[in-house]
Amino acid sequence: MKSNILLLFGFVLLLSNCTRDLSDEATIATFPKNGEVYIDGFSAGLEYLPFGDSYFAAFSVDEETKYAGSSAMRFDVPNVGDPNGAYAGAIFPDYGRRDLSGFDALTFWAKATKKGTINEIGFGQDFRENKYQVTLSNLELTTNWRQYTIAIPDPSKLTQESGLFWYAEGPEDDEGYTFWIDELQFEKLGTIAQPRPSIFDGADVPIQTFAGVITPVASLKQTFNLGDGQDQTISVAPSYFEFTSSDPSVATVNERGMITAVGSGEAVITATLNGVEAKGSARVTVVGNFVSAPTPTQDPSNVISIFSDAYTNQPVDYYNGYWAPFQTTVGQDDININGDNIIGYSELNFVGIQFLVDAPTINASSMTHLHLDVQPREDVEPGDFLTIRVADVGPDNEFGTGDDSSGEIRLDNSKLVNGEWYSLDVAFSELAGLAGRSNLAQIVFVSDATISSIFVDNIYFYNDGGSGPMGPTVAAPMPTQAAADVISVFSDAYTDVDRNLNPDWGQATVVTEVDIDGNNTLLYSGLNYQGLELGSPLNVTGMDFLHIDYWTANSSALNTFLISSGPIETAYALSVPTSGWASVDIPLSAFAPVNLADVIQFKFDGNGTIYLDNIYFYAGGGVATEPTQAAPAPTQNAADVISLFSDAYTDVPVDTWQTPWSVGVLEDITVAGNATKKYSMLTFVGIETLGTPIDATDMTNFRLDVWSPDFTQFRVKLVDLGADNMIGTGDDVEHEVTFDAPARGSWISYDIPLSDFTNLVTRGNIGQLILAAQPENAATIYVDNVYFYGGGGMTPTEPTVAAPTPMENPANVISMFSEAYTDVPVDTWRTDWSQGMLEDVMIAGNAAKKYSEVIFVGIETLGSPIDASGMTHFHIDVWSADFTEFWVKLVDLGADNTIGTGDDVEHEVMFIGPAQGEWISYEIPLSDFTNLVTRGNIGQLILSGRPELANTFWVDNVYFSQQ
Amino acid sequence: MRTPFFLKTYSFPVGIMISSLALALLCISCETDETQTVTTFTNLTFEDNFDTDGSIDETSWNYEIGDGTLNGLPTGWGNNELQYYTDRPENIKVEGGMLHITALKESFQGAAYTSARITTKGKVEQQYGRFEARIQLPWGQGLWPAFWLLGSNIDEVEWPQCGEIDIMEYRGQAPSTLIGTVHGPGYSGGEAVSKEYVLPNDRFDTGFHIFGIEWGPEYINFYVDDVLYNQLTPEDVDGEWVFDHPFYILLNVAVGGNFVGPVGANTVFPQTMLVDYVRVYSRSN
Repeated sequence: MKSNILLLFGFVLLLSNCTRDLSDEATIATFPKNGEVYIDGFSAGLEYLPFGDSYFAAFSVDEETKYAGSSAMRFDVPNVGDPNGAYAGAIFPDYGRRDLSGFDALTFWAKATKKGTINEIGFGQDFRENKYQVTLSNLELTTNWRQYTIAIPDPSKLTQESGLFWYAEGPEDDEGYTFWIDELQFEKLGTIAQPRPSIFDGADVPIQTFAGVITPVASLKQTFNLGDGQDQTISVAPSYFEFTSSDPSVATVNERGMITAVGSGEAVITATLNGVEAKGSARVTVVGNFVSAPTPTQDPSNVISIFSDAYTNQPVDYYNGYWAPFQTTVGQDDININGDNIIGYSELNFVGIQFLVDAPTINASSMTHLHLDVQPREDVEPGDFLTIRVADVGPDNEFGTGDDSSGEIRLDNSKLVNGEWYSLDVAFSELAGLAGRSNLAQIVFVSDATISSIFVDNIYFYNDGGSGPMGPTVAAPMPTQAAADVISVFSDAYTDVDRNLNPDWGQATVVTEVDIDGNNTLLYSGLNYQGLELGSPLNVTGMDFLHIDYWTANSSALNTFLISSGPIETAYALSVPTSGWASVDIPLSAFAPVNLADVIQFKFDGNGTIYLDNIYFYAGGGVATEPTQAAPAPTQNAADVISLFSDAYTDVPVDTWQTPWSVGVLEDITVAGNATKKYSMLTFVGIETLGTPIDATDMTNFRLDVWSPDFTQFRVKLVDLGADNMIGTGDDVEHEVTFDAPARGSWISYDIPLSDFTNLVTRGNIGQLILAAQPENAATIYVDNVYFYGGGGMTPTEPTVAAPTPMENPANVISMFSEAYTDVPVDTWRTDWSQGMLEDVMIAGNAAKKYSEVIFVGIETLGSPIDASGMTHFHIDVWSADFTEFWVKLVDLGADNTIGTGDDVEHEVMFIGPAQGEWISYEIPLSDFTNLVTRGNIGQLILSGRPELANTFWVDNVYFSQQ
Repeated sequence: MRTPFFLKTYSFPVGIMISSLALALLCISCETDETQTVTTFTNLTFEDNFDTDGSIDETSWNYEIGDGTLNGLPTGWGNNELQYYTDRPENIKVEGGMLHITALKESFQGAAYTSARITTKGKVEQQYGRFEARIQLPWGQGLWPAFWLLGSNIDEVEWPQCGEIDIMEYRGQAPSTLIGTVHGPGYSGGEAVSKEYVLPNDRFDTGFHIFGIEWGPEYINFYVDDVLYNQLTPEDVDGEWVFDHPFYILLNVAVGGNFVGPVGANTVFPQTMLVDYVRVYSRSN
């Protein structure tokens, strides 16, 4: 905020318009409808903020060369490689904001010293959200003054815009030049017409993705026909568009155009801009959950890695050399799925990774093996293959000479399965033809187009030290069930039934039995899938649980299946990898609809190296299947409670206790005469109060009683609809709390502080409660006494105690406001251009500054700037009942001690989600104010609060200190 | 029809020079008379409000089909126009209270575009009066819609002796600019007497506008909406004043040709001219 000439009439109106009760009768703030940006000087509120790495001095005011009036904006583009910044670029914001909704274009006159093409120019950049950014690329300038127009994609969005103008331009043919812009203003031309928005450049783009992966809508454009009859296409920010998913259960899309894959299936993402349907779409195919390659387990000291998130990778020339003219393969190391970096190749015939020219060759002479994980992304037919070739360039570092050698290994459809990782561990000695490995330079994949699409991960050379992969060193835990309650399949502790541990189902898995610490253990190496066949069908209807002990260091996916005749099979996912032995007791109901009287087989699938032990069924030893006692009676004072379901309170209306999209069965039952909700075969259930959302603003806790015979996990999610009271809109917030391994067979009273629902930043319109449990589709839960309550009183709306007394030595402090120190002079604690009100108040006898209805407030020491160069920290105490963000900006006037000049520097520190209802003592290291590179003449302090206009905060003990 | 050069044969530079001169005059006259009366003729003699969905009312209108050769003109209606006119509903229909004349990009009878052109020749003809239509125009480089009149004696005296009054012509690449013109002997084609009107802060393809003339003995007043932007009298034409006999009405959308130049690479098709109504009045009493 360098400009101190911010007095705008609109602000005065605004403040008098605001009522106290913003939450009840929110008045929409209005901002100046001033379209002028630069006519003959900076318009009111305009600032100049160059890009951090640009040539800062590029912009100046020119009073000689101008189109009209007394001056023009001059931009000096530097030469290529200029050490002061190799390009010119800046934003010109007005943080007081403008209402530009009455205009339809930004217009200006421009000329240049030579034919120049401005790389990017537009508006809507504000160094904050850039929510409504517009970019016109490649604007051609001439050496004569000409007028240019940049259309506004949808003016109705720009009711409070800060980003009035921005540009970025580099040298032309390596040479700098100068251009001028004059009469820069937003105008209502009336001739911006024929909108033709598009996404994905107007194409219908197929996107294959996995649940949880976020993909942005790309190439967002708007095309208009301008008044001169010419079309103009601009790149526009997603917030101008409304996005729609044809099936939100497959993929959702938010107001920022981020597509989130949710569940398997197909969904089409489309968009409109100002009511006009955009050309282009995304056809999103979600192919379930992505399974990462097994995590490498080799000790990093024994590894030379080419590509893996698990190790530090060696530099390479490239991950795809695009070898002309015969290579068709595209793609390289550009896939990131939920944080997992992967190489993706498609249209594969052959492709090479090279480390030779820009990166050094690799000396793998102390290594013994090559490892890589590869996953076909399509069905692999007989005859399809993938050959992996390793090439050594020899000591001369040049291919095509006599000292080259290479060796290869061929994988076929017995190893490669669509969608499954194959982990290759091959000894160099098995790569026939590879004469040396001191100058490795290439890894080449060849399929001759038999397999056209693959993922590759974890490419590394390693020394196996003569031992196999890591395994457990201790035995699995000793079972404790009485043998009489057990039917054992694999355990030293019991007598096992007759079974075949390795039926040939065509799997790649290698099965062995190994001795671990004196205990016979089942080992699956290189799991893709593996069966276990029972000698005769087992009747386990008298049993309650399946117990399995398992150990894996590298698996990223592991499922176990029970199979009855048919075959009827059901999977149960095991959490991997483990930390030591993991034990799981799976309720047999989790395997429905498998016939428990006729269990014939087990199956495991997934990946990695898995140790298994103590696989047995057992009878539960008396866990009840339903509660016999009612849930405990609540004790909260009814006045402090908002109850959804309880016999103890009057309940508020609830639209439904089971939305149609729930997965589970609801019954209303009584338990010992007490009304109770019973959910069975549950995955999750939605409970909605959309009709009359719950205002839980004054509540502190959410409470419910739950009883389950079998759940292994319980989750509670709350969804707030936001200010618009509508579900599915951008201001919805939600948070889910998870309880692992809850107690079974007894009532659990969950008393959850609402502060635990971290992301539930608003709770004035709670519209959904979602309860979820594991095992999926199998858990049964009984629910009672669902309510919110307050802590027995209202949340305080103002501080009742004084801010903590500072303890710094006065000799080390420069205080602006504190009763503990002598304060330096401050010009004003609220500049005229502030957006917020100030009252000087007393709190428990202690003076404080109260700021209300705040967007930002300026505090100035221009008259006697503060020399904080010897200080290390900035301190401020702040209390608020309602702010969600608190920002602190410091501005230094630079050596000239004058604001608004080129040597001003500033930095803003933002605190998101600050604690409410208590004094917060911010002790901010001045080093956190990164851009505040000088601090000898601190002239402004700007405090901002959010939500805009709807926050009040009290401030005390504002000082700099040396620590 | 033996006339070798029919109408709307313009040479570009001359036309533009005329226009810019005329524009200068226009501004002065507008400013001196802010309360001008645009129209005075109120006795309705013909109207088509296009209120019945389907094809056009052939008791009032005729189709003109083809590329001009059926009318005895060189291919392209004497102007190197690119369209083939049809009477198919894809090109012309009445729907939703509007006449739709739609130019399509399609290969048809050797032409690259199709469109439609209709006249009231032999059905609605009138000497003097107020002729107006409420129209939303198409847009894009190479589109050339027109609402215009030809002398009913064209078959006897040929063009330009019959006279031509172009109430509305427009180039799709200049979406805010209207051109009103008269052609007669000695002042036809590139020598025609013409004037441009630029719609302030608006354009003709985003909404409906009323295009009209009020025509009496020795004068023709050109107006759009409530703006009278030109008056032509015998003094303004360099030849015989041939506007004292009945004329008939034409509506068409041409594509390409000498007047508008080639179709732009980015011109969007289809393009439709929407006509809300055509009305003709005579002087009252």
